[in-house]
Amino acid sequence: MKCPRCHRPVDHEAASCYSCGYSESDSAALFGGNQVVLPRVHDAAGCLRKRDRDNLAETLNLLEVKFPQILFCAYLGTIPDRFSLSELGFWLLNHGQVKGAQYVRPNENGVLVIMDLNRKQIGVSLGYFAEILLSEEDVYGALVAARPNLLNSEYGEAIEQIFLKLGKALERQGKKLRKLTHEQIREYREGNVPPLLDIPSDKGGPRLLPPPEDSPGYESLLSA
Amino acid sequence: MSGNQDMKSVIAILILYFVSSLTFARAGQELPAWDETNEAREYYLGGGLWPSGLLPSASQAATQSPATAEGQSQPVEDEKFVMGPPDPATLAKMVADAGSDAGNKKFYGPADAGTLAGGDMADASLQRVRENPDGTYTVPEEVVDEQAYEPLPPLEGELAKLYFSQAPTELLIDPQHLLTEQKSNDIMRFLEFQAEESKIRIYVMVIGENQKLPEGVDLHALHQKWFDDSPVVLMLYYRERPEMTELVFNDSIRNSLPETVFERIRQTTLRQGSVTDLAPDQVEKMTIELSIQLYWMGRLMEQEKETGKGIASTGKASEMAPSSDAPEFLREYAPGIFLDESGKVFSIILTGIFILGGLAALGCIGWILMWWRTREGLSGEPLLFPEFRIDRRLGGEFCGGSFVSMSFDMNESL
Repeated sequence: MKCPRCHRPVDHEAASCYSCGYSESDSAALFGGNQVVLPRVHDAAGCLRKRDRDNLAETLNLLEVKFPQILFCAYLGTIPDRFSLSELGFWLLNHGQVKGAQYVRPNENGVLVIMDLNRKQIGVSLGYFAEILLSEEDVYGALVAARPNLLNSEYGEAIEQIFLKLGKALERQGKKLRKLTHEQIREYREGNVPPLLDIPSDKGGPRLLPPPEDSPGYESLLSA
Repeated sequence: MSGNQDMKSVIAILILYFVSSLTFARAGQELPAWDETNEAREYYLGGGLWPSGLLPSASQAATQSPATAEGQSQPVEDEKFVMGPPDPATLAKMVADAGSDAGNKKFYGPADAGTLAGGDMADASLQRVRENPDGTYTVPEEVVDEQAYEPLPPLEGELAKLYFSQAPTELLIDPQHLLTEQKSNDIMRFLEFQAEESKIRIYVMVIGENQKLPEGVDLHALHQKWFDDSPVVLMLYYRERPEMTELVFNDSIRNSLPETVFERIRQTTLRQGSVTDLAPDQVEKMTIELSIQLYWMGRLMEQEKETGKGIASTGKASEMAPSSDAPEFLREYAPGIFLDESGKVFSIILTGIFILGGLAALGCIGWILMWWRTREGLSGEPLLFPEFRIDRRLGGEFCGGSFVSMSFDMNESL
């Protein structure tokens, strides 16, 4: 685990980074302390064509069926230089809310792909549960696999490729976990949390929260 | 002053001369001394390769050598001085002597030794273009020997006894040595090998092309007398006349198979003999071919003994195992011993189909493997992960800042 700002190692349950003192409150001070609602694929940069969006939605639907617990989402924008990509990912997973996935797929199960067309960077932020399932090597391999598409400005295909590669990694991880005995799994269990699939899905449509007005960073990010 | 210096130089030169003389005298080197004239040895031109029989006598050498004639040097008696080609008379005498000394032993090669012995060859070699009194020239006609070999004596007397007096002890009967020694040994070894491997032995009798069997000598009777009922084939070969070759079989063998079989064996054997012109090669090829034919004939006879009927009439020979080297003359009587060409073609086609099928299968497997590796689709049942206890970091409710990034700028590396 590394600090989103200084990228130094951070221990578990550390309230703030030992090196730079960074914490969620710093992130909230920079981007805003409110919750924001985002679609699965938020194209703030406007770099996706309709066909790309359709294909990407189809792929995400497939992944959500295959991995009902995992939240797959993406943010594409032109981020100002003063904002770090890793800090934005940290903030989005803690303050964002994907439409229709509020209860079925919480943000701690989230896999968020962030692309900055301003600095030509792309990254993946992982929630607590997702980072247990996906190693850094798996994520980096998925990014590298999409590099040819990114160099050709095929952003829709690139993000689709990243999600598919991550899905393959999740599938491998799931097969490994299947081989664990019940006793081994029980050691990892916590409390009496009901199974996620028992939670009914939100069929009432997305609920749009009012945009926060006291967060300059948030406004700049959502200005597509 | 200059007079003194000249004097010193002269003295130094003299001292150097005496010192060097003393040094060479003390070294005592033995230098080679020239032979005396009367003790000098004479050397043969050509490194002494001329046979001693071709060397001229001492008196001839004395008359031929100008130095000897002038009395300037006297050659040693037992060593002769030779210059130029051998004397034709001496050469003719040597050939005649060799012919008489050899007795029964004859030479195999360019003959007309009789005329050679008479000195005709020497005369012929001396024939040159002659100038006529009218100023024209006469070119002597070249005599071409139509007869390649020396005429052989008729088969009678002692020579006939060598051939027909008793049963042969060797498989190759050639008392006149009409074949070369090397080829004779080769053919002999082959005949011995064939006799060990095959049930039918081969005896080869070689006579001259103009020689005839003596009156009263019947090869069939001779065969019966020598070999009785043992399976033997006697081949009578006339030198360089393979078309006159005779094959004599046992009566038991002859009665077991149709006459046409033996005729075809003879024709096939003679055909092999006609391939070459030289007698040793002809004998060798005919012998080898005859051995092959006899091998198959032996198999036919065995088959006939088992069935108890004539093969040609019953067609049972088709039950023999097919072989690729089956002689052609048996095709009419034993078609079963020949490999079925249609089956061969079928096997080739089948092999090709198998190879192509294997390649296609390999290609399909490779394609499936490639597709499996590159497939991006996710199929199967939904996958549920077990729930884990998660430690929170940096005050984040859902995310602890885990992040992996990459640059896709053309100007930057990964």
